[in-house]
Amino acid sequence: MVTSYLRRAHSSFAAHVVDIPPRLLAFLLLLLLAVLPVLNLNPYIIGILISANVLAIFAASWDLLVGRSGQMSLGHALFFGIGAYSTALLHKYYALPAWITIPIAVAIGTAVGVLIGFPCLRIKGPYLALVTMAFPIILTSVVYTLRDIFGGEFGVRNVPAFFPSLPIEQQKIAEYYLTLLMLFISATVLYKIANSHTGIVFVSILDDELAAKASGINVTKYKLMAFAISGLFASLAGCLLAHLIRVASPPTLSLTMSFSVVIVTFLGGIGTIYGPLLGAYIYYIIDRYILTIVAPVPYEWIDAKLLIFTIIVAILVIKWPRGLGRFVTDKLEDFEEARDIDERGPKIWKTYKKKEKK
Amino acid sequence: MHLLEVENLNKSFGGLKAVNNVSFYIDEGEIVGIIGPNGAGKTTLFHLISGFLKPNSGTMKFKGENIVGLAPHKIVNNGIVRTFQVVRPFRHLPVIANVMVALKSPRGNKKIEWIKTIERKAVDMLEDVGLTELMLEPAENVGHGDLKRLEMARALATEPDLLMLDEPFGGLNPLETDFLTKSIQRIHLDHPTRGIVIVEHKLYALMKIVKRVIVLHQGAKIAEGKPEEIAKNKKVIEVYMGKAM
Repeated sequence: MVTSYLRRAHSSFAAHVVDIPPRLLAFLLLLLLAVLPVLNLNPYIIGILISANVLAIFAASWDLLVGRSGQMSLGHALFFGIGAYSTALLHKYYALPAWITIPIAVAIGTAVGVLIGFPCLRIKGPYLALVTMAFPIILTSVVYTLRDIFGGEFGVRNVPAFFPSLPIEQQKIAEYYLTLLMLFISATVLYKIANSHTGIVFVSILDDELAAKASGINVTKYKLMAFAISGLFASLAGCLLAHLIRVASPPTLSLTMSFSVVIVTFLGGIGTIYGPLLGAYIYYIIDRYILTIVAPVPYEWIDAKLLIFTIIVAILVIKWPRGLGRFVTDKLEDFEEARDIDERGPKIWKTYKKKEKK
Repeated sequence: MHLLEVENLNKSFGGLKAVNNVSFYIDEGEIVGIIGPNGAGKTTLFHLISGFLKPNSGTMKFKGENIVGLAPHKIVNNGIVRTFQVVRPFRHLPVIANVMVALKSPRGNKKIEWIKTIERKAVDMLEDVGLTELMLEPAENVGHGDLKRLEMARALATEPDLLMLDEPFGGLNPLETDFLTKSIQRIHLDHPTRGIVIVEHKLYALMKIVKRVIVLHQGAKIAEGKPEEIAKNKKVIEVYMGKAM
């Protein structure tokens, strides 16, 4: 009985993963990430990968809002900061454990997403970008003003670690697996949403809001939905970071934070959901590994590091304007001898394509 | 009771009266043409009925209920669907997904037979306009004539009670015009209670399908009647050709 079950599992795995090159590649990458800690890596490198996991969740949530729904947001750090500060403050004032504070913080992030959505309904493009950029700045000044609550520039300290009882190396590995699991769940959910029927409506709003209205779509509802979903996952990333670095501080609300998702998403391919994940890893590998360990930038030149990094990103974006993620899938599709189909949409036409071939 | 009843509708942009005291009605199962030279206010009238613009004054009743001030998507869900003069496809989406967007609207979703999926219904809608071969193609790669038909399929997906076509023949070659004329006639036969309004410049194609014509000039209605009568109407000829010497 066990063998028949295993055989069935194997054949369904072969049909649903091995036969489809992009999925096979994604599966192999996930497998690689899952076995990485076994290689007895330096805790510093594990630390880089943990940060990459968190940034990947954050960037994927931005991609759903901007790449798929067309609601340009340059203040996505707002959700990140709200997640971090909510979980930290809930611990500070009510001494709640992480598994209670994180869901509450995520719920707050989602609610803020809807609230931010309302003033953003009537504005578009660059104006929307400017308005969204203002929100984290407002919150930053609140943080600096109400020092007793938010702790000013020092932030809210002593956020509990996830696994305080483990020794330090094992703690890192446990944190790595936790963030990887969270990344896997978030990315799967976001990808499923983006490729669902609701995801189609999101893209229709991105393409032509007026025509979406003329098709009977309640654009307001779907925009708020996009803001809420995006806020949910962005605040989840913020929560994770607060518990990992054990502090919720103003840098989580900074412009740098908002723009790092933009860089990462364009690097990986906007509107793909999986692209930003790739972008986040590349960002951290270049910034924290290549420019710090392999070819370390001398200390006096530390400011030039950003310049070097920016040049590398610029070259990559010029070389692959549609993003690295799309570059990879395009190559795979050439390999499949498939027609060029934009990823900004649901899966169904792939099944139709298969039927057609038969 | 008329299907759509418009009374004393006014809309001005600054000093320009784009729609000036226009009243008309449309009955169930009727095909009505609205013609007029450039700037006559035809498209503004469409925008007013579909809720994209709010009238300054006047009443519009659909099946006896007021529709002035309703949001565009609510008007669609009440049963009035319009197409656009310039095609507005969702360029990143494949042709079939363009139709699926309309099927995701409350009315579109309600009209799907329980046994069908949203995809199946979308394929059926594309079959009706003859676009099944292109259904997986992103809309940005599809030609203008096909986009016109896609626009029709998307509008019909919600199964409207009143279909408003804004220059459906614009930019089409004679063959495509002929095909579209036939599909409009077929839609009319398949759904005998559906009202259809067509705004058009190409009078030759229009006059063959409509039962009644409304002529607009500088925002005001100047004539109304059967196509043959309108073609002989002195006022209309004057508007189109200029005054006889």
